[in-house]
Amino acid sequence: MNKKNMDENRKENDPENKMVENRARRCPMLGGEVPFSYCIQCGDGSFPCFKVFDCWWEIFDVVSHLKEHLPEDMFEKISRWKPEPKTARLVDLAHRVRKGESQN
Amino acid sequence: MQNRKILLSEKEMPRQWYNILADIKMNPPLGPDGKPIGPEDLAPVFPMNLIEQEVSDQRWIDIPDPVLDVLSIWRPSPLVRAISLEKALKTPAKIYYKYEGCSPPGSHKPNTAIPQAYYNKIFGIEKLTTETGAGQWGSALSFACSQFGLECKIFMVRISFDQKPYRKSMMNVWGGHCVGSPSSETRAGRAILEKNPDSPGSLGMAISEAIEQAVSDETGKTRYSLGSVLNHVMLHQTIIGLEAKKQFEMIGEYPDVIIGCAGGGSNFAGLSFPFAHDKINGKQIEIYPVEPTACPTLTRAPFVYDHADTAKYTPLLPMHSLGHNFMPPPIHAGGLRYHGMAPTVSQLLVEGIIEAKSVTQLAAYKAGALLARTEGIIPAPETNNALACVVDEALKAKEEGKEKVILFNWSGHGLIDLGAYDRYFGGQLKDIELSEDAIAEACHASDCYPKPEILKSF
Repeated sequence: MNKKNMDENRKENDPENKMVENRARRCPMLGGEVPFSYCIQCGDGSFPCFKVFDCWWEIFDVVSHLKEHLPEDMFEKISRWKPEPKTARLVDLAHRVRKGESQN
Repeated sequence: MQNRKILLSEKEMPRQWYNILADIKMNPPLGPDGKPIGPEDLAPVFPMNLIEQEVSDQRWIDIPDPVLDVLSIWRPSPLVRAISLEKALKTPAKIYYKYEGCSPPGSHKPNTAIPQAYYNKIFGIEKLTTETGAGQWGSALSFACSQFGLECKIFMVRISFDQKPYRKSMMNVWGGHCVGSPSSETRAGRAILEKNPDSPGSLGMAISEAIEQAVSDETGKTRYSLGSVLNHVMLHQTIIGLEAKKQFEMIGEYPDVIIGCAGGGSNFAGLSFPFAHDKINGKQIEIYPVEPTACPTLTRAPFVYDHADTAKYTPLLPMHSLGHNFMPPPIHAGGLRYHGMAPTVSQLLVEGIIEAKSVTQLAAYKAGALLARTEGIIPAPETNNALACVVDEALKAKEEGKEKVILFNWSGHGLIDLGAYDRYFGGQLKDIELSEDAIAEACHASDCYPKPEILKSF
């Protein structure tokens, strides 16, 4: 199941899911109220936020909820999400910018 | 009538920052190849003069006169005796606070925004970019850039951008150009908008846009600015503690206990590092960084390498961290969103110079309400964690019958974050105790990273 199918599955099948997604809480990063529906798509690549378990676990059983509603590979990915090294990306980007200037 | 405020004149402002890197050993940040990064790796993101501060081990670093000139708009900040709080608690303790809410943006953040803008300016930079979540850092940087004639571009997460019109207004009045992220101004932003024109954005996207715009500027006149975690930020914030030391000398006092809320660590470091210097040299002081109970970064997290930004452009930094993907359970503390502590603060914990404390959410807000009803100022939500610890220490002093001198950092006012108090008074906030299982789960995020050597300076 891909992300698009997951979205459709959520909308069609589960009024209780809609109730969950409308729950709101203050985002510790943004300093304002956000609905759970925001939290499950604001991560990299429109995945759930990497903090979704941390932010919601004491309000409701977010782990079970996402395990039920997400494709297995997506759930595993977010529950074991590890940051990819990006420092190399920064150095590479700077290098390409310099190359662009020298070529001009 | 008792004197509450101990004031320094502008002429008495500290003329040098204190660099704790002169007194402690640090594990170096690592690049993608696992080797320590050099200044040239940071050059696309920060100007070289700030990079030099970032890696310097010089103990005292001169504060440039133009920086002092701007800081003097509100500095020196008052050291205030919390007489009304002492009476309410019936404590023999003498409680003092440095009030940082008197800055134009209302918090301690311009203490570093101003020098960062200055150093970028003299380096020849014309524009700074940054991201902001709650808007406090974006406001501070806009203010700072307006003082030095720099352009300021702030990428604010769209959902927050729409919710906080007054933050945008603040930035706008100071000449900052705040755009909702994702924006059409970067490749990354355009890619998102193409797929979803109504995207509410994310902090990771906003940081990525800010860094992309800085790094990809072909004129080389744009850099990025960060409001916490990094060494040069901690350095700039030490003006708080250095002023406090002078103010205590004026009244013949010295703190027994120093308390500050700790998220990324900058306001805590600012107050405590100058006193940590004394402790390293033999003074008896208790120094407590305070976190919300559900984010026990310092109290329980392993000491690992981690990134300072979610977009992972900044190098791996050694810090106490519950993993790069960990964020605390619902704590209303918009500024305390960093999952990892500043490396220098982490190192002081390893050295035993500071002792991490944690408080519950409800205790924090209870203390905040008490302070508002005694001392009059409504604290920023982040500050409340420190206040809960202050109340604990004051009550302990009452039990012991000791005239302890307690100093804390009042890091900001809460006048633009009153919604948090609505939730508290509406009974919507909960206490959370993070379980060991949850911590273990989050710690897996750092498994793939090298573990820093535990260095001891003394």
